[in-house]
Amino acid sequence: MNTMPEKQMLSAAALKEIQDIRKNYPTARAALLPALYVAQREFGWLSPEAYEAVSDHLGVPKAIARGVGTFYAMYKHKPLGRHVVQLCTNVSCMILGAERLVDLLKNKYGLEPGGTTADNRFSLVIMECIGACGTAPAMLVNDDFHENLTDKNIIEILERYT
Amino acid sequence: MITVTINGKEIKLEKAVTVLEAARSAGIKIPTLCYHEQLERYGGCRLCLVEVEKMPRLQTACTLMAADGMIVRTETEAIADVRRGILEFLLINHPLDCPYCDKAGECELQDLVEKYGPTTSRFKEKKRKVTENLQDPVIVRNMERCVMCTRCVRMCEGVQGAAAIGVINRGGHSHIEPFSGNKYDCEYCGNCVSVCPVGAIMSRLHRHSYRPWQVKEKVETVCPYCGVGCTVVAQVRDDVIKRVIPRIGSPVNNGMLCSRGRFGYEFVGHPDRLTAPLIRKNGVLEETTWEEAIGFVAKRLTEIKGKHGGNAVAGIASPRCTNEDNYIFQKFLRVTLGTNNIDSTARMGYAGAQAFIENIFGQGATGNIISGLANSDTVLVVGGDPTTVNPILGLQIRACSRKGGTILTIGHVRGLQHFSPVELDPGAMLETTLLECLVLSLLDRKGLPGSNPALEAKIKAVHADNAEFLKNSCITKEGLADFVDKLGSSGTPAVVIGKDLLQTAGSGYRLFLVCAINYIVNGRVYLLSDHANEQGLLDMGCAPDLLPGYRPLSYAEFRKRYETAWKTPLPEKPGLNIFEMIGAAENGTLKALYVMGENPVFNLPDAATVTASLKKLELLVVQDIFLTETGRLADVVLPALSWAEKDGTFTNMERRIQRVRKAVNREGMADWQIITEVARNMSGKAHYTGAVAVFEEIARVSPLHRDLSYDEIEQGNVIYPYKGEPLRGSAEDIAVQKPAAAAEGTISLAIDRLLFHSGTLSRKSPALIKIYPEAVARIHPETAVSLSLAEGDVIRISSQSGKIELPVVLDRHAGRSSVLVPNIFEGTGALRLAGMGLDPVLKAPAINGTPVTIERIGKVTP
Repeated sequence: MNTMPEKQMLSAAALKEIQDIRKNYPTARAALLPALYVAQREFGWLSPEAYEAVSDHLGVPKAIARGVGTFYAMYKHKPLGRHVVQLCTNVSCMILGAERLVDLLKNKYGLEPGGTTADNRFSLVIMECIGACGTAPAMLVNDDFHENLTDKNIIEILERYT
Repeated sequence: MITVTINGKEIKLEKAVTVLEAARSAGIKIPTLCYHEQLERYGGCRLCLVEVEKMPRLQTACTLMAADGMIVRTETEAIADVRRGILEFLLINHPLDCPYCDKAGECELQDLVEKYGPTTSRFKEKKRKVTENLQDPVIVRNMERCVMCTRCVRMCEGVQGAAAIGVINRGGHSHIEPFSGNKYDCEYCGNCVSVCPVGAIMSRLHRHSYRPWQVKEKVETVCPYCGVGCTVVAQVRDDVIKRVIPRIGSPVNNGMLCSRGRFGYEFVGHPDRLTAPLIRKNGVLEETTWEEAIGFVAKRLTEIKGKHGGNAVAGIASPRCTNEDNYIFQKFLRVTLGTNNIDSTARMGYAGAQAFIENIFGQGATGNIISGLANSDTVLVVGGDPTTVNPILGLQIRACSRKGGTILTIGHVRGLQHFSPVELDPGAMLETTLLECLVLSLLDRKGLPGSNPALEAKIKAVHADNAEFLKNSCITKEGLADFVDKLGSSGTPAVVIGKDLLQTAGSGYRLFLVCAINYIVNGRVYLLSDHANEQGLLDMGCAPDLLPGYRPLSYAEFRKRYETAWKTPLPEKPGLNIFEMIGAAENGTLKALYVMGENPVFNLPDAATVTASLKKLELLVVQDIFLTETGRLADVVLPALSWAEKDGTFTNMERRIQRVRKAVNREGMADWQIITEVARNMSGKAHYTGAVAVFEEIARVSPLHRDLSYDEIEQGNVIYPYKGEPLRGSAEDIAVQKPAAAAEGTISLAIDRLLFHSGTLSRKSPALIKIYPEAVARIHPETAVSLSLAEGDVIRISSQSGKIELPVVLDRHAGRSSVLVPNIFEGTGALRLAGMGLDPVLKAPAINGTPVTIERIGKVTP
């Protein structure tokens, strides 16, 4: 696992949110997934400290919390850049040039799949199908959806994220 | 009645079971990997697939309930094909390092592949590579061998309740690891080792030192550590214990063990074991012969008895020794020396509490079986963490929570923190007031049952100011009301009383309040014991006022019975208790002390006073397996055989008598044999042919053990009867003395009762030392801030009785305003800080709550 440069603490607002989430579920474990999202939103990823914080506040053993968190691809387990680019390279996107787009990002920003740019601006995650085969290639930047990507418009889109 | 047909054999079932269990009950083997009888059904490995008529696909026998009229086949060509396929998949990533693997010979995967194939692999891809993990002191993990059956995870979470390991990632990337990804850092119970079917999780203690088939002796005996009395099987080769494992189906622990029981056996073969008797010559302990040592002890005891009378001699018995040892020891003192001066460290709370509870409820020893805790609807825990003192009993409390029971705790209990405890933690200072408030609140809610007028009169006299308490403590009105509501509405409450309650200032009053709560809610009391034979020692009459069979000395009728049996008149006057012995040694009225398997310098409060008193004795005889702090002061030290080298019986805290069996041969004598030799040198009479003969005498004379035999004990489930009648006759007045309030704002001592240690035995067990190598002082982070202390500081903790120096560890589970110190490691025992002040009712020392001062004296050097 990654070691943290400095100790992370959940903010008071995040703790309050986790406590509120807990009330909506019959058991602490049921509240684990949304609580982990809160922690991920706070830190950008799920560090060991994030797991410990969630585990402490929900009363769920931390090994269980980590087991649940690592099962799902949408929880991140290393620090990411300010903007997370999730590009699909599954069959439709691949046929319509997604792999070329991957090369483009590498050349333009030095952004490797699974990596983060040196200026911490972008992280690239290669993801499986996002259900946009009809308008492939497609990607998510943070929570924004972008489709019909070309060599040109992908750079235009990304330049909007500073 | 359900009838199923498996492989043409008709099987009648009394109750609903799975097809797998039905088949096993009829002796039909169905292969499994993920199934384990201690664990919840899982259906993951698919090896137990069977054909069921009228069902479309193969079914997993481990999850399918047997239904009436079902026709099942377990061994067809189609099934064999599937099993071969599954095993081929499992072997894709398996390193096939059987020649090197310790599991070979008892590996379930190896056995299955040997039976079902495949003989070759069609996979050309590279195998998964994972480095062997040796981060943990007692467990080695080789996850290349893992077959992802998740038995370890289900054991750790679902049965042990530690939840230290989990399945990480998913699909082909999934693997099992602890939270840290590296070191386990867990309770080190090793129950994951027990259930691992392959060589993925194994004990490091016997690594590469033997093969399973080389084990000649497998000796079933009882764990020497705590009062729960778990069954353990010692596997022995060439008179060395190679491994200790549990047995599924054993009465107390049913296949479970804790770290002490599983990994704490190496003290038996420790090089520091005493091999020859030692005798003090010109001030130095020198090795000598048995003849000289025993002759000397016999001669000196005879002289002292002749000159000063038998009451100038006293004996301290051992809660680690067998019933047989303790019976012979008290008989030696009473018959050969003619004194009732016999006691033990059970005086440190257990004996007094038992007498107190018996006086109120008619029975003092735990009158219920440990596994019954899991079936209670509510468990109230007071006086410390049961999961560290009696780990296997702690599991039953965890199981109670898992079954939907309510766990209520007074004070913070770390080992139950993930079991939704309802906790009232007002801090050590206010605990007595909290108990008073609880008694009054419960009284309001439930009223008095009316069955015990003596107790009710005392309960009516309890006073407390509820509003004042809520104002002064962090407890809220709602919190208290919720707690009272849960406790008051429970149908089958159990009350678990730990030693922290009994070793605190005002312990007698607190125990009275807990008894009052128990009376009002009609609960069942469990009195925790941290030694393997603490109960048995009392049963054997190793107390100044008790005869064997837990009968009072003051009863002429019983005294007569023993006088007839032992053919000697017995002294009528009760003897000195263990604290009075120290006092009598101090003032010179006690001339000789015989200590069997005990270390009073370390295990009694105020080491300085104890040491000074013992030095004044004319004769100090210490019989032990190691040269202890007390042994170093002795005139004669007699080496005894350890628990693994002798036969006998232990009686656990629920009064279960179990056989201790010799597992290892070693030259020497058991404690009772040494005593018999001394007695023979003094009076020329005593003679027993073996432990069995001693037990036969116990069964003849003790009313509790009447007509019991080793044969009967070996069949299991011998709990001596307790027909609800007080063993000690009519009730005396219930002593209730409210203590003066403790001074606020001081830092006080609290004993850190460690999961990994018990003291004299555990500190000579290398594996336990590796897990927990040295004493530390645990302090709550907020308390540390107020004292300007940081982690890694070295502090000097001083009290009126002594001082010790320890590194600081910050621990948010520690109580505020106290410093937690263990009484395990030489030179830094917590008890040396405590005073000899005894509770007026329980006659137990007040250790927790001893005021201490703390000064920072440096920093730990890395």
